[in-house]
Amino acid sequence: MSPLAAGEGARTVLVVDDEPTARTALAARLKRLGYRVIEAGDGKAGLESLRRERPDLTILDWMMPEMDGPSFCEQVRQDPELLSSQILMMTSHDQPQQIAEGLARGADDFLSKAASKYEITARVQAGMRTATLIRRLEDVTEEIRRKQEVLERELQSAARYVESLLPPPGIPFRGVQMVHAYRPSLGLGGDLFNIVPWSEDVLTLYLLDASGHGVSSALRSASFSTFLRRDNLLHHVGSSDPGAILMEANRQFPLTEDGNYFTIVFAKLDVRARTLSYATAGHNGALLHRRSGEVRWLARPNFPLGFDPSTIYPTEELPVGPGDRLYVLSDGLYEVPTSNGELWGQDRLEQTVRAFGHRSLSEVVSGTIEEAVRWQGHDHFPDDVALMGVELAEKVFS
Amino acid sequence: MSDRLNHEPVFRLDEALARVDDDRETFRMMIELFMEHGPKDLADVQSALDAGNAANVARSSHRLKGALLQFCAPAALQACKELEESAKAGNLAQGGQLYAMLEQEFQRLLAALRHARDKGMAA
Repeated sequence: MSPLAAGEGARTVLVVDDEPTARTALAARLKRLGYRVIEAGDGKAGLESLRRERPDLTILDWMMPEMDGPSFCEQVRQDPELLSSQILMMTSHDQPQQIAEGLARGADDFLSKAASKYEITARVQAGMRTATLIRRLEDVTEEIRRKQEVLERELQSAARYVESLLPPPGIPFRGVQMVHAYRPSLGLGGDLFNIVPWSEDVLTLYLLDASGHGVSSALRSASFSTFLRRDNLLHHVGSSDPGAILMEANRQFPLTEDGNYFTIVFAKLDVRARTLSYATAGHNGALLHRRSGEVRWLARPNFPLGFDPSTIYPTEELPVGPGDRLYVLSDGLYEVPTSNGELWGQDRLEQTVRAFGHRSLSEVVSGTIEEAVRWQGHDHFPDDVALMGVELAEKVFS
Repeated sequence: MSDRLNHEPVFRLDEALARVDDDRETFRMMIELFMEHGPKDLADVQSALDAGNAANVARSSHRLKGALLQFCAPAALQACKELEESAKAGNLAQGGQLYAMLEQEFQRLLAALRHARDKGMAA
């Protein structure tokens, strides 16, 4: 048995030629080289054999009745199941413009009908090498696709878990309406967000972003979210003051040895006093859209947590009124690029929120995410995306 | 032209056998196939010529040429090529003459192949 016919089985060549003498001669040569050979007498039968047998290489005559070689190639290249087939076009047309036409219509290489047996052997072997590489590439691509499906299922499960920790959308706290959306990235990012009722009148909410991606970022975020539990904050900070909380966090979560850190926006809404206080650490992710139409970003340039233990994170306080909306969001929402790399950006996000201002809170949240998806042109965000919207109701207390 | 062609062998057995790695069984099968299909292809050329259909003359003679190439038959191949080229150019003015040449060389080749087959293809 020839080495090629051993092991995984002989590789297969399909010979499509309407002229039986030449086809027989070529088939015999290929069999002697150790290949399994399938013969077809015209283009239509050849296509059927290609679909049924999936040969490694197809050697195709140019001129045939009914379906000629170039038309055969075009059909193959338009068929998703067959398009990676390797096709060696056999022809007595060896003028450059005809070769160019054959290549343009889908042939991979050419073989002159008058070629010597050495040339036939060399071209077939070259075609087989390419076919083998393409098969490997297809196998690896399929493996990656399967793994990605598993990863996507796990990420969706992680997203459901993060969302399960949140109060249900609607009115989790009297006097406040809340809507949120969460789209984890394929790279498993470290964004976490939550709304934590602090007292009868006070609600706190935060969005936390651990630098980097992957399991370690997600675990560091989970550890930080434990720190941000109400009972823990009461014990270690003694108040719900955003600046005080971030300064304690800055002490407890220094830069890791490999340079990882957190950014955070932490806000506190007092529905009785109608005040919004907040502090940020390296995070630009809070936007206040007042009913009057005024839009302002709640951020000041400062260090992320863990850079410098002496950093002061001041608490800013603003009055708020009925109908005012606070959005807390991941930077991943506005840092989405188009295919040419242009980012959506904070300005476009702000314009979108402003343009959607007359819509319901849930429509603004879903519509803004749809706009970001439209900008990047596909559904998968490169980084985690969370968007939380909170609206102060008309009547805070009944 | 015919003088030159007539001095060449009808077909070169050594070369034709070398093309199939001296596989005489395959070569015998090729001769049988040619004896069966070749005359039909030649008849197709003649029908197309009678109908004045240059495209079909080109197509049929092209098909016949594919077989002639396998047998290293220079005179038949040359006659076939000339007819195909003129038909491709849409010119059938010399068609009858070229066909007559092709038919003559074709019959000589058939006879030579039959002879080779019957003699066990001793080169």
